[in-house]
Amino acid sequence: MRKLLRTGVALVALSLLVAAVAAGSADRAAQANDTLVFAGAADPVVLDFALISDGESFRVLYQMTETLVGLKPGTTKIVPQLATSWKKSANGKTWTFNLRKNVRFHDGTPFNAAAVCANFNRWYNFRGALQSSSTSYYYNVVFAGFRYGKGSLAAKNGLYRSCQAKGSNVAVIQLRRAFGPFLGILTIGPFSMQSPTAMKKYGADKGRLTADGVFQPLGTYGTAHPAGTGPFKFSSWKVGDNLEIVRNDDYWGKKAFLRRVIFRPIADNAARLQALQTGELDGYDLVEPQDIATIKRNKDLKVLDRPAFNVAYVTINQAVEPFDDLRVRQAVAYGLDRARVVKSFYAGRGVVAHEFMPSSIPGYATNVKKYAYNPAKSKALLKAAGLTLPVEVEFWWPSDVSRPYMPNPKNNFQAFAASLNKSGFKVVAKSAPWNPTYLGRQQAGTAGALNLIGWTGDYADADNFIGTFFRTEQEAWGFNDPKIFDLLNKALQETDLEARAALYQQANRYIMGTLLPGVPYAHTKPALGFRRTIVGYVPSPTTSESFASIRKLG
Amino acid sequence: MSVAEIEAREIQMEGGSGDLWSEAMYRLIRNPAAVVGALIVATFIAVAIFAPLLAPYDPREQNLDLIAEGCCPGPSRDYPLGVDDLGRDELSRIIYGARFSLLIGIVSVSVGLTFGLLLGSIAGYFRPLDSPIMRVMDVMLAIPGFLMAIGIVALLGPGLGSVMIAIGVINVPIFTRLMRGSIIGQRDNDYVLAARAVGVPGRRILASHIMPNAISPVIVAGTLALATAIIDAAGLGFLGLGPQDPATPEWGTMLTDTVRYLQSAPFLAILPGVAIVIVVMGFNLIGDGLREALDPKLRGRA
Amino acid sequence: MLRFTVRRLLLLIPILIGLSILVFLWIRALPGSPAEALLGERATAESIAQIRAQYGLDDPLYVQYWRYVQTLVEGDLGTSISSRRPVSTEIRERFPATIELTLAAGLFALFFGIPLGFFAAKRYGGIFDNSSLVLSLIGVSIPIFFLGIILKWIFAVRLGWLPSIGRQDVLIEADHPTNFYVLDGIVTRNWEAAWDAVKHLILPAIALGSIPLALISRITRAAVLDVQNEDYVRTARAKGLPPRTVDSRHVFRNAMLPISTVIGLQVGLLLSGAILTETVFAFPGIGTWIQASIENRDYPVLQGGILFVAVIVVVVNILVDLSYGLLNPRIRLAGR
Repeated sequence: MRKLLRTGVALVALSLLVAAVAAGSADRAAQANDTLVFAGAADPVVLDFALISDGESFRVLYQMTETLVGLKPGTTKIVPQLATSWKKSANGKTWTFNLRKNVRFHDGTPFNAAAVCANFNRWYNFRGALQSSSTSYYYNVVFAGFRYGKGSLAAKNGLYRSCQAKGSNVAVIQLRRAFGPFLGILTIGPFSMQSPTAMKKYGADKGRLTADGVFQPLGTYGTAHPAGTGPFKFSSWKVGDNLEIVRNDDYWGKKAFLRRVIFRPIADNAARLQALQTGELDGYDLVEPQDIATIKRNKDLKVLDRPAFNVAYVTINQAVEPFDDLRVRQAVAYGLDRARVVKSFYAGRGVVAHEFMPSSIPGYATNVKKYAYNPAKSKALLKAAGLTLPVEVEFWWPSDVSRPYMPNPKNNFQAFAASLNKSGFKVVAKSAPWNPTYLGRQQAGTAGALNLIGWTGDYADADNFIGTFFRTEQEAWGFNDPKIFDLLNKALQETDLEARAALYQQANRYIMGTLLPGVPYAHTKPALGFRRTIVGYVPSPTTSESFASIRKLG
Repeated sequence: MSVAEIEAREIQMEGGSGDLWSEAMYRLIRNPAAVVGALIVATFIAVAIFAPLLAPYDPREQNLDLIAEGCCPGPSRDYPLGVDDLGRDELSRIIYGARFSLLIGIVSVSVGLTFGLLLGSIAGYFRPLDSPIMRVMDVMLAIPGFLMAIGIVALLGPGLGSVMIAIGVINVPIFTRLMRGSIIGQRDNDYVLAARAVGVPGRRILASHIMPNAISPVIVAGTLALATAIIDAAGLGFLGLGPQDPATPEWGTMLTDTVRYLQSAPFLAILPGVAIVIVVMGFNLIGDGLREALDPKLRGRA
Repeated sequence: MLRFTVRRLLLLIPILIGLSILVFLWIRALPGSPAEALLGERATAESIAQIRAQYGLDDPLYVQYWRYVQTLVEGDLGTSISSRRPVSTEIRERFPATIELTLAAGLFALFFGIPLGFFAAKRYGGIFDNSSLVLSLIGVSIPIFFLGIILKWIFAVRLGWLPSIGRQDVLIEADHPTNFYVLDGIVTRNWEAAWDAVKHLILPAIALGSIPLALISRITRAAVLDVQNEDYVRTARAKGLPPRTVDSRHVFRNAMLPISTVIGLQVGLLLSGAILTETVFAFPGIGTWIQASIENRDYPVLQGGILFVAVIVVVVNILVDLSYGLLNPRIRLAGR
């Protein structure tokens, strides 16, 4: 009897517990309507745009800081942002910007021409560890010259000469040479305007180099007091848990609908998906292809497309014989079943790439030579080149990584290897972890004759794609072709938009026809997952979208 | 007959090697759980050995047409367990996976056993070497096994070989300790002392008294180590440190690769997961059965 | 007792030295340069060369080791490459989360494991006994991350009863004076926050505690079975003591001895299992941090994190040894 009573009491207690737990879950469903919870894959590194190059820092900072010129949402069209109009000199070396009036930084100080020059000069005056490209990557890539720089980083080797403030609303930037993509690169975050007062007050440039060559910021600007001009401003940051930004009610433009946005770092993709399904998240980026169907099937969720702005390609290293022979490279191009790979592993979000840049950028040529899968032709070409079949080829692929243009390198590799094996080749499989080994080898040209890699664009300019790849001699590609180098350098200096487009089209035709340094195979539309109650999110090709237009319904 | 002689005969009966094993077998067979475990393990080994005969397809053969509509079609007549995200037959991959798991288990445990037994015997017998060897083992045991395995694989570079070496290495201290403790324990045991007193030669003492009893906990530990090896290998694979060849049909790697499909094609992850659980259970059951069968305390009580 | 304690503590020193050497050599032997990892595809040959020039690893090994020990003693465990923050800061911020999870998992294992094992022993051979054996068998046979994923799928996604990620619902405003979320909620009298923190702990604790649960229940069962057949228990029963008194005064107390040893040994298991569990549940503790550092080749973090965990395990084991000595007079007096 006593035992029965005891078991009975235990059962009742258990069921009460379960009920309490289940009841609690109802609260979660009623999320605050003015707050958006968004998940990225990791925490930002530091909230100082000039010192970072990782996507998560970009995402958060784009909400809080702005650049002189911006992009029309969802496109790569340049529109005014902190500058209302601009003109360049005849020789392309002087750019004059008319600045927007009555704009303030989050710390209350005014945005003006002096602030613009303070920002440009801050970068130019970087010393020591700050000059390293692991610290100020984008400045290094674009401007590459520091006042106190030595050797290749010396001032005279760089692009930037000086900045003058004419009154409080006109800023004049002097460059050392004509630079076609200048407006394009000014749209990217690392060149955004941050409050000089705040940066000075909170030691934005203070830091030290650790024993591993990493710059460690020691000031509190980038961790607690970032100050831009954007529609959101910083609220709080608990590393590893969440970062909160709140609406800037003094914003110069259209104020944000949301009162606050909370970013949560969740590394595991499956965990992000599940959190979206349970309602713990309102949205996340970098949805894996196989989860897209799951999200679409769920009536509370939806998928948003990010316009394609990347390219996945197979590098052909011409330093490895016999790949210096164009016919052999053509055989590779005909021997890769790109259509099948794109169809099978991109969940319908990929298109076959026919050249090394996406179609949305001016300079894209529609009449390049195309290579449909044709094993017979491959074999014929190899024989014509005087080789005995099968031709052994070392083909590298990266392990433990997933990139937006290459969600599953393993699968791409296996399918490509299989199709090459049918086309007169004998594939020798090699792989290495993405970082650091694979990337290092790929750059150094020691990743076999063929390897898988890709590129996501930073700014809307053809030079960011084919200029980066083919404007200089690089070990990864293993060739020296003065014709393409000259053509691309000429295009780089050309500041007239139409002339540039024509030059890049010419370059693309040449690349895919005569040079064939590699085989591009996919452009993808990365996907984001959101709850259906979220509207107004317009993904940008360069991942620079603003959250200010987001509204939460119901 | 003197008391000593009677006792000597009793001792011989107690410590005889032949008696120990047959008695253990007798008890083992009567333990239903151990029998189930034995069946599972036997099936596992059989599947692993006869994989080429049992598997309907080549586990590495891709059939991309099957997944043209997206991943992944489930069980059908041609493919009893469905296909994975590259169009490969799941059933064949599961069957061949048994081979890899068996390989990982055997190689890593053998590595651990060999070095462990060697070091343990040395430490147990040669007193001056006992302390230094055990200190080193203490340091190794200080780091949790799985963590150490991560470190070793990171050092050697990810891959099947590194995983086997790593798991082998983390088993060494365990077997060393076990063997040493066993030998020391046996050395001072009553019946050994008695046998020595009665005049049984040292060599025979070692062979028929010490070794059989020292070995039995090692056998039990070995079986259980096999089980843990398979689980640890799956864990290392989950962290991206396992076999790098994409086509490898190894259960741990298969589990890692297909966890992402849990919502769209759950069977892809569940199958290798369940396979791991069943096989590991089998080894645990046998290990426990052996432990009970070989337990000297239970001897003579049937 | 004092001699025993001193001996145990003295053993600590060579172990710690050995550990630091092991970890140091291991780090120096790892392939690749982590600074390159920051740039990804964006690394050009020039930028890689530039970064390589900043390395200062030309000094002889023993000099490097001495420098390393010096920084260790100062508490400087290096700087994380991915987050640019000191490793010691990261540990300080993340460790409470892992402790909370480990404690929760341990409590789960104890709270359910001991009664399970106890009643299984009492009903030896019956259905309860056999099913508890099967259950604990499954517990040790299932990979932790697999269990975690299944639990999450069933209880969070499908049924929606429990949250699937993190330590707390971001929309709950809560202060965190101690950084132990459940404790924080209680201390600040924010009952909603405390309960929410508990809910976030349930699934990960079950996944992480599954193996200790299985082990503890098995050990309890075995220990109780052993003790039950001891002479002094039989005497107590023969004396006429009611079964419940016999159980609590004699059986239970003496069975706790082997159980307590096992409990201590679980710490290492729990901490290394935390790496897999935290990843699945995006729990912001040491586990996710170490797992991310593996992917990012963030060697300072790996080095500092593993060293830290190892030291904790060593210290806990020593404490367990000491307490075992306290409980069991035979160990104490033998001095060995």
